[in-house]
Amino acid sequence: MKQVRWLYLLRRYLLFFAIVTFVISCSMMLFLNTVTRATGIEFTEEYVSDAAKATAVNILLLSALLTVIDALRRYFFVTRPVRRIVKAAEQMASGDFSTRVPEMYGIDGFDEIARCFNALAEELSGTETLRTDFIANVSHELKTPLAVIQNYGTMLQKPGLSEEKRIEYAKAVTDASRRLASLITNILKLNKLENQKIFPAGERYDLGEQLSECLLGFEEAWEAKNLDMEIELAEDVCATADRELLSLVWNNLFSNAIKFTDEGGKVSITLTADAEWAVVCVSDTGCGMSPEVGRHIFEKFYQGDSSRATQGNGLGLALVKRVIDLTGAEINVTSQPGVGSTFTVRLRREADGEV
Amino acid sequence: MFKLLVVEDDRELNKTVCTYLGQNGYDALGCLGADEAYDAMYGGEVFDLIISDIMMPGTDGFEFAKTVRELDEDIPILFMTARDDFASKQRGFRAGIDDYMVKPVDLDELLLRIEALLRRSKIAHARRIEIGSLILDADEHTAYVDGEEVPLTVREFNIVYKLLSYPKKTFTRSQLMDEFWDGDTTSGLRTVDVYITKLRSKFAGCEDFEIVTVHGLGYKAVLK
Repeated sequence: MKQVRWLYLLRRYLLFFAIVTFVISCSMMLFLNTVTRATGIEFTEEYVSDAAKATAVNILLLSALLTVIDALRRYFFVTRPVRRIVKAAEQMASGDFSTRVPEMYGIDGFDEIARCFNALAEELSGTETLRTDFIANVSHELKTPLAVIQNYGTMLQKPGLSEEKRIEYAKAVTDASRRLASLITNILKLNKLENQKIFPAGERYDLGEQLSECLLGFEEAWEAKNLDMEIELAEDVCATADRELLSLVWNNLFSNAIKFTDEGGKVSITLTADAEWAVVCVSDTGCGMSPEVGRHIFEKFYQGDSSRATQGNGLGLALVKRVIDLTGAEINVTSQPGVGSTFTVRLRREADGEV
Repeated sequence: MFKLLVVEDDRELNKTVCTYLGQNGYDALGCLGADEAYDAMYGGEVFDLIISDIMMPGTDGFEFAKTVRELDEDIPILFMTARDDFASKQRGFRAGIDDYMVKPVDLDELLLRIEALLRRSKIAHARRIEIGSLILDADEHTAYVDGEEVPLTVREFNIVYKLLSYPKKTFTRSQLMDEFWDGDTTSGLRTVDVYITKLRSKFAGCEDFEIVTVHGLGYKAVLK
């Protein structure tokens, strides 16, 4: 390694030497020729031999000086920034995502690389936090119902249990396993959606009909809660999309609206359309949420209610968002704590405006 | 007592399903595979309904359903499977199944669906519905209340027959229409409203059922 460096240095030195020699020889010859022509003085060997030797030494020294300056330039403007970036990259490779490359002002090219690198590190550390959070959340959500099942299972084995207790325990086991099942279904669905690369081409179908069919699935739920349902669906509004995927969106939005609205509250669903968009609004008079919560609800496992008292697993809206992104639709939410929330989904209609 | 056949390769699941069905008044026989099921069916026993898994060693559920359907056109088949993708559902229904449930199955829901399938199969078999004083005869397309014929057009009859085949189930307008109109949407979904109004007035004298409007979404028949 050392030897290679010396050879490298020698090469640079020879290169500089050659350049300097060439430049000086050329200028000398040009100069002396002009002098000879003007004055008629012939420069014989005796005249110039001393000066020539001095010039040769000068050239040697000048080349050495240039080599040193070049080496220094290289060190400060190439080797050091490269070393810093390499060091940061190595740290990141070993899993430390907090590392950043120090700012390098005015070093052309490298300052830009450093900036990009830091942006990359920022992004990666964000993803990494999400991933760790995701795993932590999944294990929490999976283990809680499992623990419940295990505990009640143990308690059920106790001899001489009263009939009342037995039913209570068994019911708890059933509820927990139901929760677990819906969680696993959602995780699998989300995973499939996130990894799936090819999606079937959308088909054209009646959106109002699909909304009606999805809504009817909740008939029992809204009757049990005695909700005032206000449903207004425009007729003959068609959408071109993957029918199955979109039904995920409606089912999740309806289920949330009904879930978060207290008994006797009001849920309204409207479908309207203009030339460009089909708009589905789902409003409830439920607990609502603060703007801060509203910003995060589409994230996995985010639950506005941090006590996790309300049923659900925090994946429904993440699924919705994923489908919305895949279909090229838009979703937004407006909400006021204590008043209610409104989710608005906008689907682009056929470009040719055909109804 | 109805006899049910449960084909499911997981021993525990098979046992719990059979036990639960037994507790709820059905005579359920569990088989761990399609071959065992064939033996049971052609050993002389007649079943009223089959519940089958899809993923089983040897013959899978699709094949099993297809074979059964070839031999018996009417027996209701219900798939109970972990596969929830549309392709599997499509394949299943094309093989001739009548209903599809995704595991883990809510046993109470299973009971409801079995009940509906059996009722439906009975109706399909008899081609008539009898509710209190009301009789609907699908072959003649006629309705009788207290022995007196209620004049109905074919479409009116089809709608009321469909509603009463699945009491308490809400149908959207287009579901009520699709079946008989061959997707002729030019007549408009609102035509169904007109038919329902006519049906209500024609059956005003019948105390046994009423047609309820569900939030502008559709209609259902409620038995009284």
